[in-house]
Amino acid sequence: MTIAVCLKWINASGQTDIDDDRFMGFSYADQAALEYALRVAENTNDEVIVVTAGPVGAEAVLRDAIARGAQRAVRIDIDRSHDSAVIAQAIAQAVSHCSLIWCGDYSSDRGSGSVPAFIAAQLSFAQALGLVDIVLPTGAQSPITALRRLDGGRREQLEIRGQAVISVEGSTARLRRASLKGSMAANKQVIEIVTVNQVAVETPPTRAYRPRARAVAAPVGNSALDRVRQITDTSTAKGHGETVHLEPREAAELIVSKLREWGYQS
Amino acid sequence: MTDTDIIVVGAGPAGSCAAIAAAKAGKRVVLIERGPFPGSKNMYGGVIYPRILDELIPDWFEHAPIQRWIVRRSTMLLSDTGALNIDYRSNAWGQAPYNGATAYRPDFDNWLAQQAVAAGAELICSTTVTGLLRDAQGRINGITTDRPDGDLTASVVIACDGVNSFIAKEAGLYKAVDASNYTLGVKETLSLPKSVIDERFGVRDNQGVDIEILGGTSGVNGGGFIYTNLDTIAVGVVLKLPKLSAQKKRPEEIIAELKRHPAIAPLIEGAEVIEYSAHLIPEAGLDMMPKMVADGLLVAGDAAALCLAAGIWLEGVNFAMASGMYAGQSAAQAMTAGNTTAAGLQTYTKKLNETFVLKDHKKLRKIPHLVLSDRVQHKYPGFVTGIVERMFRVENPHPKPGVRRILREERKKAGISLMDLVRDALTGLKGFG
Repeated sequence: MTIAVCLKWINASGQTDIDDDRFMGFSYADQAALEYALRVAENTNDEVIVVTAGPVGAEAVLRDAIARGAQRAVRIDIDRSHDSAVIAQAIAQAVSHCSLIWCGDYSSDRGSGSVPAFIAAQLSFAQALGLVDIVLPTGAQSPITALRRLDGGRREQLEIRGQAVISVEGSTARLRRASLKGSMAANKQVIEIVTVNQVAVETPPTRAYRPRARAVAAPVGNSALDRVRQITDTSTAKGHGETVHLEPREAAELIVSKLREWGYQS
Repeated sequence: MTDTDIIVVGAGPAGSCAAIAAAKAGKRVVLIERGPFPGSKNMYGGVIYPRILDELIPDWFEHAPIQRWIVRRSTMLLSDTGALNIDYRSNAWGQAPYNGATAYRPDFDNWLAQQAVAAGAELICSTTVTGLLRDAQGRINGITTDRPDGDLTASVVIACDGVNSFIAKEAGLYKAVDASNYTLGVKETLSLPKSVIDERFGVRDNQGVDIEILGGTSGVNGGGFIYTNLDTIAVGVVLKLPKLSAQKKRPEEIIAELKRHPAIAPLIEGAEVIEYSAHLIPEAGLDMMPKMVADGLLVAGDAAALCLAAGIWLEGVNFAMASGMYAGQSAAQAMTAGNTTAAGLQTYTKKLNETFVLKDHKKLRKIPHLVLSDRVQHKYPGFVTGIVERMFRVENPHPKPGVRRILREERKKAGISLMDLVRDALTGLKGFG
């Protein structure tokens, strides 16, 4: 079994005007992911493979991860300016043989957290994303239990079995320090380089979001003031305000049907 | 079998040059740096004189990350309101083979360390050396670090861990530490557009200015400095520790006072402070230097107090690079000869004694004390500026006073006895040779 950790090579300086290899690194979320992967591997004797997508400079984060205990490193030679779907497709190809794929929930360089979800979709793996608490099993057969952040301060408890993509928040674990001998060995580690064929991902043309146009009847009235009032008056209820008490399934169906009716969804 | 041949502690100018020299001699070298990258801990804002690099990196000036080449060298004496500036300009210093330069040390040190890596040294960052390892005979044979599994053995350790070297102290090479041997260097980096700096300092392109200041340190013994980078200016003071402590003044207040001086304020007007930093400087020269060799250990750079603070000459990086280079070469030679005891490593002290590294320090031994003495610090700037003030002030219908009269009166006003003046002049003459 192999456990993969996806690491993004980012500007770790916290300042946007610095573009300098000396300040590059990986975000706390990725560090936490690496730490969990190493802990799991300690229990199960699995191999840990670290993967990054980017230019030669990105190998620094892989060597760092090797120094801390990962066994293999793969760099996907791809232009980082590609969007998340393309990057995720390239990563998914490199980690398709792995049982668990650990990621940070999102990188600190304005990451959207979409890459882990895209990887899971590409590989048809289960996904447990945005975890805030993880309990690793002591036995290999037991599931990983975790808490996932939901809106409004709610939490969702998950049990993770089988092949899965897991993304964790940066505060969940502190990455171990590399041993001195580990750092020295990592300098000599061979990094596997994967060149990807330009993956074709269909992305619809993007435009600013706006609701669809809908026909509004012209106001009717004797005076201009009446007609203006009809359009601008907010003192009387109109439009879509409605409170209903339904089971979640019926509520969702109602929302979808209303959105269709109002023209927000086709 | 040791883990490596030579361990160099600290990837500053001394450490990187030691690593380059030893790696070029075919030895396995591990260069250990405390910061996340070489230079990341460095705040030095002064002038680097890299001529010594000709030996290690012949075309250094083509590649080194230099801000400006110094073409104007000024020494400024400040009284409360007056300023006497002795300024020398040579545009030839701004062309190959160059003389001094300003540089951002995180850039310069990183570049120099990469030269060591290119020469074959292995650079390990984010690692603090916590102590020395010794063999059964008590001979130093490695280091301990703060990393897990962090012991590393070697035939020779070269300590380039900077001022207040914990390694040299642990090895017992320093005498008791005396705070009066140290100064505190405090620096503000001020941001100004390049065109404004060029205009105010009368330079173009990558020409730069170095102004060393005597006086203007709010009564604390020390000195001030202004250095130009491309689009920043480094302004700061160097303050003698016991005096700073006794005066109970904050260093940033002293810099603020210096920046308000009528001779300084126009140079930095409108500039924004983008960085403030401070660091100790070993300023007492030969009198505070430790033994530089022990069994399996060499000490170089600031760790060996190889910093020249002799008034008109303020140099440290070149001494660090030279001593580092000689340490690297000597360590490699001693290893090849199979004798890394103190006796086997003595070629290092021999080399230091034969070259400018110790010759300059021996010649200028008394100068650091003279420069930081109370009379030079508190009386001479007022005395000298008073003389110049009266020489150039026209007070018609009174006729011009004679120079001897001015000298006598100003000396009395400044409270300097003739004996002291003669004594200091002799010390200066003897010291500067």
